[in-house]
Amino acid sequence: MKSKPLVMERFSTVHSSFSVDFLFKNNITILMGDSGTGKTVVFSFIRECMALNPKILCLNYLDYQRNIKKVISQEEGRLIVIDNADILLDDDARKYISLDDKNQYLIIGRNPKNLFATRENLFELVCRQAGERREFTIKEYL
Amino acid sequence: MIRIFKEKRDIPENMDYVELNDLFFDQNTVSLIDKRAEKIIETIDGAKLISKYKIGSRFSDVVLDIDRLSSGCKTVLNVLYYPDKVFCLKECGNNALEILYGLDRGQVCSEYAMIPFSLPSVIAQTKAGQRVIGDYEELKEWWSDEK
Repeated sequence: MKSKPLVMERFSTVHSSFSVDFLFKNNITILMGDSGTGKTVVFSFIRECMALNPKILCLNYLDYQRNIKKVISQEEGRLIVIDNADILLDDDARKYISLDDKNQYLIIGRNPKNLFATRENLFELVCRQAGERREFTIKEYL
Repeated sequence: MIRIFKEKRDIPENMDYVELNDLFFDQNTVSLIDKRAEKIIETIDGAKLISKYKIGSRFSDVVLDIDRLSSGCKTVLNVLYYPDKVFCLKECGNNALEILYGLDRGQVCSEYAMIPFSLPSVIAQTKAGQRVIGDYEELKEWWSDEK
């Protein structure tokens, strides 16, 4: 499903020798790919930005006991970043996300079920050395 | 040969099911890590096991606590060191699945198909019974069958 990003078209941050520069093409970005490519590392960098950026909300397995649908339905104007999404998101939460027109999503997981996702929503991480920095970007998942 | 459960309800009551692989690894498996983990950690995460609790990162020259391993790698290690428990399979990337499916023993569960490109034989288990499957398409069909 293709729809314009509601909250931000670009997210970038720096964490010590790492940088993150994501260009969002859709309101729902699903970040997939092999294990160990740095998805959770990037999540931790984004979560760090929550301290200063009120537009960002991060959820992961530490929120396992919470009702995720209830949590996100109370939000507006946020980039909601969800790691461990394959265990965190039940069908209800997925359906809510797919129809949510108040928030934008970056979902780290491999199962696009009930998110009404097409290939245009699927991305993978790219990591490259840029000088002394490691830069993380995203590209369409093949 | 690993055993795959299609649904949580297929898992016998006397068996533990673990959904949060990260947490289980950090609290339990971590204390069992030995030489057997070296190749798995290197193959999946590109990291080097330096000591029981330390790894060399693939992304920089720093030494990290072993809790920084990927969820997929932690899942494989959980299955390796606790073959009598059943672990959620959903957070494994294809590179982790390739290793996991090649383990001699172990048990996993997922409601939807999680199949590596190269597939050794596995035991596919439901409440109705079990069968050995060594073909990608056959396993995919088993997974998509009505319960």
